[in-house]
Amino acid sequence: MTNVNQNEVVIESQSITVKIQNSTILSDLNFKVAKGEIYALLGGNGAGKSSTLKTFLGFNTPTSGRAIIDGRDVSQSLDMARSKTAYLPENATLYPHLTAKENVEYFLSLADINKSLEDIEAAFERVALQKDAWERQLQTYSKGMRQKTAISLAILREAPIFLLDEPTSGLDPVAIDEFNFLVKELASSGSTILMVTHDVYGACQVANRIGLLRAGELVGEFEAQDNHRIDTEQVHAAFAQRQSS
Amino acid sequence: MSAQLNTVMSSVWYVAKDEWRYWLRSKVAIFVLAIGLVLTLSSVIKTAFTMHGLSHDRNAMQNLSEETFMEQPDRHPHRMVHYGHYAFRTPSPLSILDPGIDAYTGNSIFLEGHRQNSAMFADQKQGTGLTKLGNLSPAFIVQVLAPLLIILIGYSTMSRERESQTLAFLVAQGTSIYTLIMGKILALFLVVCLITLPLALSGMLAIFQGESLFIVLGFLFGYVFYLLVWVLIVVFLSTLVSKNNESFTALVFVWILLCIAMPRVASTTASVSSPSAGKLETDFAVIAALRKLGDGHNANDPAFTKLKDSLLKQYDVETVEELPINFRGAVASASEAELSKVLNQFAEQRMDTELEQTQIARRFGWLSPNVAIRSLSMITAGSSIETHHRFLRETEALRLDFVQSLNKAHTEKLSYIDDINRNNGEEAWQRARVSAQNWKMIEGFSFSADSASTRFSRSVGAFAQLFTWATILVVLIRLAGRREI
Amino acid sequence: MMRQINREWRFMLRQRYVMVILLCSFLVSTFSVTTGLSEVNAQRQTIERLKQADIIDRTKAQAKYDDAGSLAYYSFHLVYSEPSNLAFAALGERDVYPWKHRIRMLALEGQIYESDAQNAELAQAGKIDFAFVISVLSPFFLILLFHDLIASERASGRHNLLVTTAKSVYALWGARAAVRFGAIFLCVLLPFYIGAAISDAALGAVLQITLWCFLYFAFWTALSIYLGRNANSAPRIASALIGLWALFAFVIPILGDLTIEQSIQAPKGSDILLTQREAVNDAWDLPVETTMEAFVAKHPEYKNDTNVEGGFEWKWYYAFQQVGDQVAAPISKEYRAAAHKKHDLAGYVSFFAPPMLIQRKMAEIAQTDAVAAFEYEQNIRDFHKSLRLFYYPWLFRHDEFDKSQLNLMPQFEQTLINSKN
Repeated sequence: MTNVNQNEVVIESQSITVKIQNSTILSDLNFKVAKGEIYALLGGNGAGKSSTLKTFLGFNTPTSGRAIIDGRDVSQSLDMARSKTAYLPENATLYPHLTAKENVEYFLSLADINKSLEDIEAAFERVALQKDAWERQLQTYSKGMRQKTAISLAILREAPIFLLDEPTSGLDPVAIDEFNFLVKELASSGSTILMVTHDVYGACQVANRIGLLRAGELVGEFEAQDNHRIDTEQVHAAFAQRQSS
Repeated sequence: MSAQLNTVMSSVWYVAKDEWRYWLRSKVAIFVLAIGLVLTLSSVIKTAFTMHGLSHDRNAMQNLSEETFMEQPDRHPHRMVHYGHYAFRTPSPLSILDPGIDAYTGNSIFLEGHRQNSAMFADQKQGTGLTKLGNLSPAFIVQVLAPLLIILIGYSTMSRERESQTLAFLVAQGTSIYTLIMGKILALFLVVCLITLPLALSGMLAIFQGESLFIVLGFLFGYVFYLLVWVLIVVFLSTLVSKNNESFTALVFVWILLCIAMPRVASTTASVSSPSAGKLETDFAVIAALRKLGDGHNANDPAFTKLKDSLLKQYDVETVEELPINFRGAVASASEAELSKVLNQFAEQRMDTELEQTQIARRFGWLSPNVAIRSLSMITAGSSIETHHRFLRETEALRLDFVQSLNKAHTEKLSYIDDINRNNGEEAWQRARVSAQNWKMIEGFSFSADSASTRFSRSVGAFAQLFTWATILVVLIRLAGRREI
Repeated sequence: MMRQINREWRFMLRQRYVMVILLCSFLVSTFSVTTGLSEVNAQRQTIERLKQADIIDRTKAQAKYDDAGSLAYYSFHLVYSEPSNLAFAALGERDVYPWKHRIRMLALEGQIYESDAQNAELAQAGKIDFAFVISVLSPFFLILLFHDLIASERASGRHNLLVTTAKSVYALWGARAAVRFGAIFLCVLLPFYIGAAISDAALGAVLQITLWCFLYFAFWTALSIYLGRNANSAPRIASALIGLWALFAFVIPILGDLTIEQSIQAPKGSDILLTQREAVNDAWDLPVETTMEAFVAKHPEYKNDTNVEGGFEWKWYYAFQQVGDQVAAPISKEYRAAAHKKHDLAGYVSFFAPPMLIQRKMAEIAQTDAVAAFEYEQNIRDFHKSLRLFYYPWLFRHDEFDKSQLNLMPQFEQTLINSKN
């Protein structure tokens, strides 16, 4: 287990076990993510990645163990936990019949947050959403553009914690680069990021740490040494081995 | 060419079989189909028993009423004019499938002198009021609920292929989209055949009871065609949209519009746009007209002077007492004939208005196939308003007939002197009578619906409405099939 | 709170499919209210025309005859049941039960079942009044609006984002449901309120109808949201809801109807008529005393005035008319009791069939239900009785009939006033 500065831990999985109808989805899952860190949970189909996210979002209640966000148990103080987290769903699905601005306004209002138009435009600029698209309905957007809109919403909510579900799947290489840049920038400005993915290379490129998940169990953790990237070969070897075993 | 046709046919058949396999596996469709069959069967059986019972009862009451009349003792003939008797409307054989307006009009009329009574005691009036929205008649089940069942079974028939992208796969394989659509239509058509099977069995029963084969086939064809229109609607909307839930919502919406709202919009529009005055109101006009005719009970009414003069001249006598016939009877007879003319004139007017209203409502068949099948079904089954009008006309002829033959007995078999002295003591009272033999003239009344050809020619309009619906839908399906996969 | 509502309101305006449903519900409701108003208006005008024609006709008859017997024989009297101010919203049973008659002093059982019915084929199709829109159509609109409230968001993958973003569950689903509920409620009831204002309906009754509609709407909304809360397939939920609707609207009432019809044995209407006719006709051949004895049993005050001279006297004629009614009375009472019983039992059945329940409630509030028709029938009987009591002294006591007395003749309007007290 890697050491993390206890004072700065914002996401913590304390022996989470989730059982749904007698089948174990997550089993004694332990990991911590410190402030400003990018943590990637890596796993194949059915490894329990999405279930982990759902547990931190409060859609799953752990059978035992606790999901802690900012020092509090998610299942105890759900609204507080949700107000601190920004969730980015897999397909960045917002309302297709609304424009980017309308979508962001709608969701901000849902979160009961007041933002001026300038703030919203600033957020769009920060995520590099091209200006001519701001007033267009989302049904004309590419997936990358929808994702930028969703991230700008997360930024505007000023949530310190980001939960990202397969953020790079279906994106073209340019969009992946843009996305990685954005995530790193968010982390460096103090946000904490937990992402789940099945993309070994993508995870290695962006994460500070990687947890390897298999059949609901954490089977290994990898860490970047001295601000270098995680060794892709090493993770890939472990991933491939674990998958086949 | 024919080999090519064979291939198409076999692919269509294959698509249909595949659709059925999907339904058999999805369980929901089979459950819905089972409910549909149970509903249709139970309604067919229940209505057959009810209508058979009603038919039996009314025949029995008809006979009873006639027998009581004939068993009356010797009397003054005019007493029997007021004694009267009943005419009952026996339901037509196909009423076991569509009772139509049977429960909404009275089914018996009291026939008496000087009055045209209305049909009294509609069953609905003495009912629970619970069947306002629908009843357990095969007509209602097949007209209203069967389309809903077809929707529940078939809403995803094309949209499913599109949503799961098997459509692109099939078309890429070289299957024409029209082959697919035809197969789906065939599959749903088999459902239609299953649902209408109980109707066909009951129709055979109607043939046994004397209904013409031609009209029963027309009736059944109407229903199959109506449900085919719904199959086309389902396939069309399912082809038009891309998602199952959109197809479902759209179809349910169309159903409620065409089957639930439209028939009522039609009847409301008809009664608002062409209001009928009602019998009570036209009766004032009748009373006014009758006042001019004079009271047939009073032979001294000045209205009958002309009759008196012509009779005196005809028999070449000076006074009414010398006439070889009973003058009071002659007056009664003449005034009844005049009265009947006046009454019929107003009755015909009223029936015309009613028919006009009904025609307005039936025109909504261009907007809703449900309205079309409703009129088609009632007209061919002989349970429509026309049949009731026929009943009213026949009973009036019957009424006039029995009253006039009593008046004839009054004129020819009762002496004028005995007649005018009837209130002078018990003996005179007894003398002013004719023999009960004279009551035997009423013949057994038995009502039957219009002839098959009359009913068929009335239903042509409704058939045309259904054909138009089908044609337009086929064109629309062809257009919908052209959209991108 | 207002902020949440405001947001969802603006959001709803952008949803084409919701707007189509709202527009349709508004149009259907408007149609029902408009035609209801014109139907009620037509009924009022008919009554007005009948009233005038009735007076003219009776005046003519009164001018022609001088003796009480002939006057009673030739004078018809209009009786009617005026539609209430709320009748436009629930036309109720007025298309099945008659609401106007012209009666005279002859045996009433022979006259009261006359029904000046409207077109039977139109009655069979049913009318689209506001009560129908509420009870049958609005559940559909509510099902379409609410069954996929949550399922549609789940199907398009927005559910988790929405829930995690929202400040609270109520701020999201609560506000969204409240806005849709408010909108459909307004779209359906607004035409009704306008109609109620036009026809000057009592505020209390309007509020009562509002309350019932609210409860009924809430029932279907809650049912739709509850069944749809965990669903992934919206059509499946909608099928289930429509199945429930068919159960409530058709199956339970039809089964209830069959059970009630089986369990209640009632005499046939034609039997009443037959009995009464036989009694009246036979009386001509019976000794005068027999008829008079039966008559005096009900009217002992005339026991010394039953002597009939000559073959015919009006008092004998009217006595056997009344005796005809007396003979038929037991069957007639049984017949009416059966109708009441059926109505009451149908009330119990409707507790298991909400569409029937609300329809009955609305017809009850609008006074257009079977009970109102029964009351009207009772009014006719009361009026007929007052008419007989008016003429009997002149017929039996041989007092000289003074035609100025006709001004004191009972009025149906008076009977109506008395029955209300």
